[in-house]
Amino acid sequence: MKTAMFSLAIGLAACAAPALAADPNTVMISQGVDASTLDPAQVSSRNESNMLDNLFGTLYKIGGDGKITPYLAKSYKVSDDGTKWTFTLNDGLTCQDGEKLTAEDAAYSFNRAADPAAKFTGNTPGFVYSSIQFKKATALNETDVEIEIGQYNPIALGMISEVYVHCKDSYSKMNANDAARKPVGSGPYKFVEWTKDDRVVFAKNENFKLAPAKFDKVVWRTIPEGSTRVAEMLAGNLDIITNVSPDQKKTIDATGAATVVPIQGTRRIYVGFNQKAKFQDTKGGQAISKPEVRRALQYAVDVPTICSTLLGVECTRATSPVNAPNNNTALQPFPFDPARAEKLLDEAGYPKDASGTRFELTLQSPNGRYYGDANVAMSIGQFFSDIGVKTKVTPMEWASVYQPLIRAHDAGPLFFLGTGGDTWSAAYDLADFSAPTAGTNYTDWNDPVFFGMWKELYATRDPVEQKKITDKMSARFSEQSPWLMLYFQPNFYGVAKRIGWQPRRDERIDLADVTLK
Amino acid sequence: MLTFIARRLAQSIIVILGVTLISFVALHMGGDPTYLYVSERASQEEIQETRVKLGFDKPVYVQYASYIERLAHGDFGTSLTYRVPSIEVVLERFPATIELTIFAMIIAIFGAIPIGVISALYRGTAIDGTAMFMAMVGQSVPSFWLGIMLILYVGLGLGWLPISGHTPLLDPLLRGDFSTAIRNFPSAVTYLVMPGFTIAFFSLARNARLVRSSMLEVLNQDFVRTARAKGLNEYHVVVSHALRNAWLPVVTMFGLEFGFLLSGVVVVETIFAWPGVGRLVFNAINQRDIPLVQAAVIVFSLLFVFLNLATDILYARLDPRIRLK
Repeated sequence: MKTAMFSLAIGLAACAAPALAADPNTVMISQGVDASTLDPAQVSSRNESNMLDNLFGTLYKIGGDGKITPYLAKSYKVSDDGTKWTFTLNDGLTCQDGEKLTAEDAAYSFNRAADPAAKFTGNTPGFVYSSIQFKKATALNETDVEIEIGQYNPIALGMISEVYVHCKDSYSKMNANDAARKPVGSGPYKFVEWTKDDRVVFAKNENFKLAPAKFDKVVWRTIPEGSTRVAEMLAGNLDIITNVSPDQKKTIDATGAATVVPIQGTRRIYVGFNQKAKFQDTKGGQAISKPEVRRALQYAVDVPTICSTLLGVECTRATSPVNAPNNNTALQPFPFDPARAEKLLDEAGYPKDASGTRFELTLQSPNGRYYGDANVAMSIGQFFSDIGVKTKVTPMEWASVYQPLIRAHDAGPLFFLGTGGDTWSAAYDLADFSAPTAGTNYTDWNDPVFFGMWKELYATRDPVEQKKITDKMSARFSEQSPWLMLYFQPNFYGVAKRIGWQPRRDERIDLADVTLK
Repeated sequence: MLTFIARRLAQSIIVILGVTLISFVALHMGGDPTYLYVSERASQEEIQETRVKLGFDKPVYVQYASYIERLAHGDFGTSLTYRVPSIEVVLERFPATIELTIFAMIIAIFGAIPIGVISALYRGTAIDGTAMFMAMVGQSVPSFWLGIMLILYVGLGLGWLPISGHTPLLDPLLRGDFSTAIRNFPSAVTYLVMPGFTIAFFSLARNARLVRSSMLEVLNQDFVRTARAKGLNEYHVVVSHALRNAWLPVVTMFGLEFGFLLSGVVVVETIFAWPGVGRLVFNAINQRDIPLVQAAVIVFSLLFVFLNLATDILYARLDPRIRLK
């Protein structure tokens, strides 16, 4: 009712809206949330990194197609033992203040983020460095910088491509406050101003010759309310907005001022089967520790119908945690076949009792963390109950209740979750299960066959061979089913008619991809 | 009077300490905030390391005692999200919230007085009926709905006012940059109208009813009849005699009004993308940014204490029967 009223109002209002002249040299974007910091070593969220991706260069760059290509560096080589990655920088690089950018600056950027005295907790020190066991960076000469890591890792290049490079002279003179508020960039745009909770403004960095900026000015506006973002876009004041409610698509498209573009993201949405010992004292907990039961339950859920009815998009069910194009294309998604699910459960030793119940489970879920999460969890609970697995669904508040449970591996025995993936590496997507004891193995799944394959993966540098191994891992994952695979989270962007832009699956907004029609 | 003020200020310290304790305990009851500051792929060791780094490994009472000790030295703590002194983050947004609240208060007071007075003077007529019907609507409409409707019809449909955003007015004034403040004034007002009205609508309606009933009571009293019998014109009767006496119950309400309007800014700041403290605190609570929430709570507490004191003094000034001893 509320949505219908809003759609009607927006339709009527937009019809009467006067068209505003938009500046062809300025692009306006709103992501909803303001940055908490613009320090390259401290940023930790996608909305922050979307800004910094356009402000700072990285040694290599991850493209929308998942390919990793040279950026500030023109090439790299890896030592025989795979622990030393040497990057050669392009000539003529500078920072926005005109300072020459050399290998010493690149090394400084990497080492600054790792400095324990700075107590950074951002994505680079908190995730990238722990993933590749970063040791140190050293400038070998003016153009070559060597990054030393703990051991060879197939995801090292992608991880290194997440680290923003900046100039030593400017950052070594800054205190933490200035570094957070007044970034000195090394990319196609330069920082102009940041009005907290209102806007961040960039201007074209004329010194950046590698990939010159297309716009003179970029404004990142902070507008938390979705309907306000939509109104601003329809008024001609915004070009790109994130997190549009999909039920507004028809109405917004009909205005002719903008369109809503849905895209399947890279976040894997699934139900985890927690096999932790604490759940083994119930019949349901014991049941889901058996792969044959977990496999049976996969057939009980109609994922395409969930997508179309609850999320408003068509989707194909995921087959493994790995995103396309690195996924195992030979794998087929589990079909919706409740009769088969029932048969498999009977065979696994869980027939229905007199009341029609096989066993009972609890499915815990966040409420409002992911698009449609609680509704989807409730529908899954109903699908399970339909085949005799009586399921109680418990939606919970994310920050204070659900997240601590998840991190302590105490959610469950069934838990609904979405974890970030990417388009550039199957190994990255599988790294949730890098070890049975990995922090992100929230299911406590411990399959020696699967986990043994990591050794094989680390032992080869041949991409073809690596692909074969990750395909095998995906197949084993599907067979063992520690997750009930659902879908990759759909994202919805509003794009003004004057803009040519195809959103990326990984939620990055690279202004190099944006054109004026 | 000075003794009274000193006594009230001393009481305010106890009030503020109580508020910090309640908010501190409430935030900690929400769970361990460490998880909000680590990557979703962080290992248990990294989570523990961050917990120690941020001081969340210590018992709550130790954390609170340490906080109060630092507070006594003027250290409000460092915001976990922004990594800068939390009081700086709050004060940076404070002018935007204050200018929005003051603007809303002007609407709520100066709109309510003529509406209430006219309704009272034309009691039982269509004018009174219409005004009181609108007052009822004003008290019934939720502010988030009103805000969105204003955005859609006035901002987007008619294009009369900006849909969202802010032009600073108080901030340059406080910095002594008067030329910027004057230059920003016309733009600032256009940005203030819709959010200001959204916040004020409820209070405007309530105050109009209050002024009306207060005026009706006064208009029937002997001194008003006497004033009329003396041959004073109706304007003087109403403004100089009736309204002045009708003020008293209204002033008490207006003193609390600022606090009430401040409490309404969270929703309105979110809808209109207004860069104020309300939105900041809302996000800080979700992020369990305890130092930031505490700093904002203290600033708001001080403001409330000051406003209550100011109301008491104003009340005494207006009513000769009441004198503070």
